[in-house]
Amino acid sequence: MPSPETAGPAARRPTPEDCLSRVALGDRDAFDQVYTTFAGPVFGLARRILRDPAQAEEVAQEVLVEVWRTASRFNPQLGSAQAWVMTMAHRRAVDRVRSEQAAEDREVRLARASAVVDYDDVVETVENRLEQQRVRHCLGGLTELQRESVTLAYYNGYTYPQVAKLLAVPLGTVKTRMRDGLARLRDCLGVGR
Amino acid sequence: MSMNAMPDVHTLTGAYVCDALDPAEREAFEEHLAQCAACRQEVAELREVTSVLAKAVALEAPAQLKAAVDAQVAVTRQLPPEVDAEFGGRSGSGREGGAREEGQTGEIGEREPAARQSGAQVTPIGAAPSRRRLRRSAWAGWAAAAALAGVAIGLGVHTASQQQQINALSQQAGVMQQLLSAPDVRKGSAEVHTGGYAAVLDSRSRDEAVISFTGLAAPPPGKAYQLWMMGPSGARSGGLLALPAAGNPKPIVAHGLGDAQTIGLTVEPAHGSVQPTTTPILLLPMGS
Repeated sequence: MPSPETAGPAARRPTPEDCLSRVALGDRDAFDQVYTTFAGPVFGLARRILRDPAQAEEVAQEVLVEVWRTASRFNPQLGSAQAWVMTMAHRRAVDRVRSEQAAEDREVRLARASAVVDYDDVVETVENRLEQQRVRHCLGGLTELQRESVTLAYYNGYTYPQVAKLLAVPLGTVKTRMRDGLARLRDCLGVGR
Repeated sequence: MSMNAMPDVHTLTGAYVCDALDPAEREAFEEHLAQCAACRQEVAELREVTSVLAKAVALEAPAQLKAAVDAQVAVTRQLPPEVDAEFGGRSGSGREGGAREEGQTGEIGEREPAARQSGAQVTPIGAAPSRRRLRRSAWAGWAAAAALAGVAIGLGVHTASQQQQINALSQQAGVMQQLLSAPDVRKGSAEVHTGGYAAVLDSRSRDEAVISFTGLAAPPPGKAYQLWMMGPSGARSGGLLALPAAGNPKPIVAHGLGDAQTIGLTVEPAHGSVQPTTTPILLLPMGS
């Protein structure tokens, strides 16, 4: 994990971690790089969870501004920049989906969203496709219960009791499957420490 | 409280990193985390995993998002760093110094009003194609250019051979290779009426297509290019085409082709349209 001291100019391409540490100093160019790295993933995750493009865009905007605002709190000792940003994005999107307000907001927004592009999920970039194939491969290595527990919770924003009900299995089983499913993904993806 | 006293809590790490706990459980688990180094370690590891799940569903961010974020960043004060646990974080319970979990997690919820009160409605500056440097996009463009060489050569499209591009090519070749090796892969190309060329590789058996553009002119001010998947049942939006400041746009993978037979491109308002509102400047037939 890089530390700010090693982020010399032109020594090598700055990592997202380097960029975040410069964002904490108020560096707008570094923020542009952080934006370029994470805007697509943040928007895509919000879109996946919320479905409504207008709400997803709002959440993405809030999260990216929050990255700017709280960059000084990022600690590379505790995890990657990607994990830090995507944790914020997921939490925010899930909170939004669970708030009572969301249902009402959604109707209002849909009413005035006629000019907004219908972001069909038919296109993606080649880069994303590589990541997606890796994930699909590793998800394929899970048991069905592990896979469904993880994806229903993570991509749909369901609570684990909701997942348990959908899958008609005991609460304790779902908790355990989420944990050991993610652990198996960790080993397959080769991430974490 | 020892871990043995709460045998059950440990198993919540998975549900916690999926944000699948209700608020009360989340709070209780975070209290436990503050005292359980092993749990923090596991949460950190699993968050790296979920972040990969997140990246796998990345989409091209809407063109106007950058201007909106920039406008708000310009009027948003940054938090100072937390100096020392001794002085107490705002939460006052960071017993293990900088390692306290909340320092690394979203503190986002409590500040929504501040984040929203200013600038949220600032009009994007023309929502013009972003000026940010799209280094990796340029690579991706070259990868597609090379993979589509059979098409591109006929059109006299220039391909380069710098080492970086070759490296990028080898990384991305897998995607193209799968499509190219499909038994029913087809190639097509067409001229864009306003300048430039489009090429497509598509496979019905894989139900996907890769579309690549070269030499496109910038859209008129305040307008954007929008992609369409066109078939007997009408036109489905393929989203806005993101144009880098220099070089060609990223190649695009379209899947779930449905009954689409033609890739269309139109000039639309910067935020896009639900259905095409202008005459297509490109009609690129796919194999059928």
